[in-house]
Amino acid sequence: MNPTNTYHTLSPKLARWTGKTVLWVFLLTAAILAIFPIVIVVLGSFKTNQELTSSATIWPQSWHFSNYVQAWKNANFSRFTLNSIFVSVATTIGTLLVASMSAYAVNRVHFFGKKAYSLLMASTLFISIGAVVLRPQFDLMVMLGLNKTLWGIIIILVSAHATCYFMLIGFFRSIPKDLDEAAMIDGCNFYSVYWRIVLPLLRPALAVAGLSAFQGSWNEYILPLVFTMSNPELQTLPVGLANLRYGIGAAAEIQLMMAGACLSILPLLVVYVFANKSFMQVTLGAVKG
Amino acid sequence: MKLKKVHAYVFVFPSLFLTLVFGIYPLLWALRYMFYDYQGFGTPVFIGLDNFGRVLRDHQFWSSVGNTGIYALGKLLVTVPLSLILAIILNRKLKGRSLLRAIYYLPTIFSASVMAIVFFIIFNSYNGILNQLLLKYHLVSAPINWLGADHAMLTTIIIAIWGAVGNYMLLFLAGLQGIPNDLYEAASLDGANEFQKLKYVTIPMLGPVMQMIIMLAITISLKGYESIMVLTEGGPYGKTEVMYLYLFKLLFPVSAESQSLQQLGYGSAVGFTTALIVGGVTFIYFRISKKLNDVY
Repeated sequence: MNPTNTYHTLSPKLARWTGKTVLWVFLLTAAILAIFPIVIVVLGSFKTNQELTSSATIWPQSWHFSNYVQAWKNANFSRFTLNSIFVSVATTIGTLLVASMSAYAVNRVHFFGKKAYSLLMASTLFISIGAVVLRPQFDLMVMLGLNKTLWGIIIILVSAHATCYFMLIGFFRSIPKDLDEAAMIDGCNFYSVYWRIVLPLLRPALAVAGLSAFQGSWNEYILPLVFTMSNPELQTLPVGLANLRYGIGAAAEIQLMMAGACLSILPLLVVYVFANKSFMQVTLGAVKG
Repeated sequence: MKLKKVHAYVFVFPSLFLTLVFGIYPLLWALRYMFYDYQGFGTPVFIGLDNFGRVLRDHQFWSSVGNTGIYALGKLLVTVPLSLILAIILNRKLKGRSLLRAIYYLPTIFSASVMAIVFFIIFNSYNGILNQLLLKYHLVSAPINWLGADHAMLTTIIIAIWGAVGNYMLLFLAGLQGIPNDLYEAASLDGANEFQKLKYVTIPMLGPVMQMIIMLAITISLKGYESIMVLTEGGPYGKTEVMYLYLFKLLFPVSAESQSLQQLGYGSAVGFTTALIVGGVTFIYFRISKKLNDVY
């Protein structure tokens, strides 16, 4: 790694300078490649269709905010956004609730079947036969009458809460059991200890796990795609955006696709800027768990 | 004390119920229909192992297996070394270190499908932004058909690398931070230079973590199909058709082409075979990498 080795004949100062330059050229090239597509889509969303398809500019010649108005109104992105927000918020709350409840019980109480339950949760992380399970999941939702609402998607997303469960159970170990006992003496029961003592203490962990649940459900494509094949009014942002490609005349309206893509990456981009550290923890948790 | 156990069951119930009904039951459903001739409508007919015989003779499936191999290999050969190098550099004291980490990680937060749309606009051969720029600066004399039969696989690999490097960089960083500082100090006292420290401390100490990360990378890249589905739908001429995309088309009629393919019983058998292939590759890698670890 140390470039000084390769420059024996150069003076040490020059060698160090050369090494540093090479390093920074590499780092900056990688950084530019990483953000190039994001810059292209953000700047492109303000261009006219003509500018997008026929002139090689990066910076818009003139700024057209009307693309967003058009995407929002004509291309139905108001509907997609609303659906996406509903699915993601409900999934995040549901996942956190279900996972934190079971993690609390498993961490605090010895009950029959605990080992089997933990094994089951661990195995759901590893078993994956891909899209095959989507059909029976869909049939179940038809049976429950939920295939024509967004709740079908939400329930299936919440049922995949094993990752969140393992993230949370790691944090539970840091909350001392004495605290529960003290609260019990003060008149709390099992449920109020969970709600009033444990959950507030778990807040940082819930933020990290919630972020991962939100990101996952906001980005989910296959499940909403399958569920909205006959209910276009339920489409979420990724599905609605992908469908623009096949729509009549859509190929001619790249500026709308750009504005739509921006609408669908914007919330995550904003959250990312403010919660960069938590995002990093999401992945760090994954390697440990 | 007994009451507490009842409370515990109440608290575990939602999780257990959801996992069994929407996780395990669908799995058993698929395991059962592997042995049936079932199109998704009409009466399923039991046909034993015939579906698996058909899998063995299915050229389209095996070509998708080959494509998956090219895709995964291409992605891994760049992603793993690149993310390791970035992690090693960004683990050292460096001006702007946390900003660079944030920038490299940024691509990984977006939906694969949405980014595929963005890349579709960039790589479009007729009026894509990339070709326009290349032509403008005279780097090419004619537009490159990025999504055509010759380059489509390369393009999907480039996109996969773009979306994955930040993630593995972060995993490697976590592994690097687990190496105790004392080792580097001891190496310094013994007169080791930076390169020797890397060779004799960092790489060997990172071994077990690296083994796990590469295993994760292998399974993830064998399973990925979302962005390919949105970008090329497996085309042109099936050049970018990967295993899980082929499987998806057997199960859901998203386009006219897959409408004729739809076959749930056969799809279940393909799904099971695919899972076996992924499991097998992971297992073989695990054995080989363990042996390599023992040698060192």
